[in-house]
Amino acid sequence: MIKKILVANRGEIAVRIIKACQEMAIPTVAVYSEVDRGSLHVQMADEAVNIGPAPAIESYLNMDRIIQVALQKGAEAIHPGYGFLAENAEFARRCEKANVVFIGPNSKALELVGDKVRSRQTMKKAEVLIIPGMKRIPTDYSEYEIEAQRIGYPVMIKASAGGGGKGMRIVQSPKELKSSLEAGKREAKSAFGDESVYLEKYIEEPRHVEFQVLADNYGNIVHLFERECSIQRRHQKIVEETPSQALDSTLRAKMGETAKKVMKVSGYNNAGTVEFLLDRNKEFYFLEVNARLQVEHPVTELTTGVDLVHQQILIASGEKLPFEQGKLQQNGHSIECRIYAEDPHNNFLPSSGKVLFLKEPKGPGVRHDCGIYSGCDVPIYYDPILAKLIVWAENRELACQKMINALNDYVILGIQTTIDFLKDVISHSQFKAGKTTTSFIKMFFDKWKGKEKTEEKQKLAMLAAAFVNYNKTYTKKSGVGPQEEIFSPWQSLGRWHLGGKK
Amino acid sequence: MEFEFLIDNILKRISLEKKEDRFIITDAEKIYEADIRFTSPNVVSILIDGNSYQVYYAKDKEKQYIFFEGLQFLVQEPLESGEEFQEGEEKSKEDELKVTAPMPGKVIQINVSEKERVRKNQTLAIVEAMKMENEIKSSIDGRVKKVLVSVGELVDSEKPLIELEP
Repeated sequence: MIKKILVANRGEIAVRIIKACQEMAIPTVAVYSEVDRGSLHVQMADEAVNIGPAPAIESYLNMDRIIQVALQKGAEAIHPGYGFLAENAEFARRCEKANVVFIGPNSKALELVGDKVRSRQTMKKAEVLIIPGMKRIPTDYSEYEIEAQRIGYPVMIKASAGGGGKGMRIVQSPKELKSSLEAGKREAKSAFGDESVYLEKYIEEPRHVEFQVLADNYGNIVHLFERECSIQRRHQKIVEETPSQALDSTLRAKMGETAKKVMKVSGYNNAGTVEFLLDRNKEFYFLEVNARLQVEHPVTELTTGVDLVHQQILIASGEKLPFEQGKLQQNGHSIECRIYAEDPHNNFLPSSGKVLFLKEPKGPGVRHDCGIYSGCDVPIYYDPILAKLIVWAENRELACQKMINALNDYVILGIQTTIDFLKDVISHSQFKAGKTTTSFIKMFFDKWKGKEKTEEKQKLAMLAAAFVNYNKTYTKKSGVGPQEEIFSPWQSLGRWHLGGKK
Repeated sequence: MEFEFLIDNILKRISLEKKEDRFIITDAEKIYEADIRFTSPNVVSILIDGNSYQVYYAKDKEKQYIFFEGLQFLVQEPLESGEEFQEGEEKSKEDELKVTAPMPGKVIQINVSEKERVRKNQTLAIVEAMKMENEIKSSIDGRVKKVLVSVGELVDSEKPLIELEP
């Protein structure tokens, strides 16, 4: 068994991995950038090392430095989480060379599936259905132009090295192609350090259905059923669930077997996810392999009872899979909401700053994977994901209700978050009916406005503000419990304008 | 007594009196009685007309946040130059010609240079935060008077990036 693990990530996923290590009694080493000194993962780990300045390229993407820290600290393995170096074959190779276990697939498989162009060729050979698209990364613009015409508009620009919506854009017509390509390349470069992008046919109104796979180092492969991740904004998943409302047991088994085949022909080991697009006619196309632990992995954990991070560590330690396909079952329904530091009232602009207050939702069947705390700073440099709220219930209807209640019980003050927006998404009649497609948000939430702040509610807010500000100052002076004080604001309310009109 | 606040950048007034252990809120039409108390850190409980509200609050420098029933309010003290805008009116943009970033971030591209003519909605610059690029567009047909930042610079949401002239 691995004796010490370096977690090469930050935020909620680093915390999640550290917790799994603690459960397995494996000491952890956190790495952090200069702006992350106060981060939760740094505080939770047994050891923590500063690996450089804030920009990811100089810290969380600094391969040599991270491997050097692992060697110095005697960490036998590195868990990359998701994003950053998680799907970087070069990093996996360097780990292998340095004799550090990369908790993920072997570098060869990673290189193959991580290169979305090459992996599509492999799948084509294995007779896995794929979406029409480019065969290679073009060297000049005219090639993109010709290919876009061949595939037919609308086309999708995708980052070769990426995922998570970064660098991805839909191009509706030839005249948008150039500027979209430039923007896509820039985003790909800053997110993954690689600006290669390619084009593929954009299939309208599909469902995004993916299969979780576990493969050990001895050729044993199982799938842990599907996750539906159709609810997306700007091609970024925001709500995920399992089981999918679009699958019956026949289709589920067929897709699951295809997912296993994809991993087999790729020579894949450890945890990975095979993404499909499912169209209206229940035809499914292979999209890509996510060669990492996924953001949305908890919904699989809650419905199968398998801890995927534990399994990743066990597989990386050379253990065999402890179960066969036939032993795995889906139980109940699970939904995840991603909580982003984005302002849904203002075009989803990123919202950085200090988290002044956090109240985490609690209750039976409620899980909160969280990277923040009251008082922490959310820097501008990284992904806006703050936390994930996951619920489990016996069926989908109850899970929806549980999610709404949990979102109602969730407070983050100081920065803007998507909590409000998610509440309305889960409450939407089409969502409740299970009619989820990747255009759901665009169709129903394009002109979303939050709940109205009526005059009455504003009064209440002012009442609370006056009360809170007055008592705070007064308590300091008198040192007596605020409830017993007489309301005498004259001495303490200097900062508020009194008496109204001047 | 009357309090003035900026609630979500809008100037508002409220009249409050303390009577024994209750607060009296006087409205144009109505008088409310409120029972307010601190319950736990960052939480006050308010009872008005038998309705119960659990209100969360937090403060950072001049900015205070009040939250209840899924609504978040930004509460600030009125600016010294409070006369500039009228009660109930949205804070008028001091200078439409000063282009600011909508959020803190890093300038990754400046698309225009001084003296250049620009059209409404033309992209002037790109500011990145949390790995999302945000295009900063011109609000007018006009000319670039001054470029105030350079590529790579970190900017907050108040700092002008570019000055335009009609």
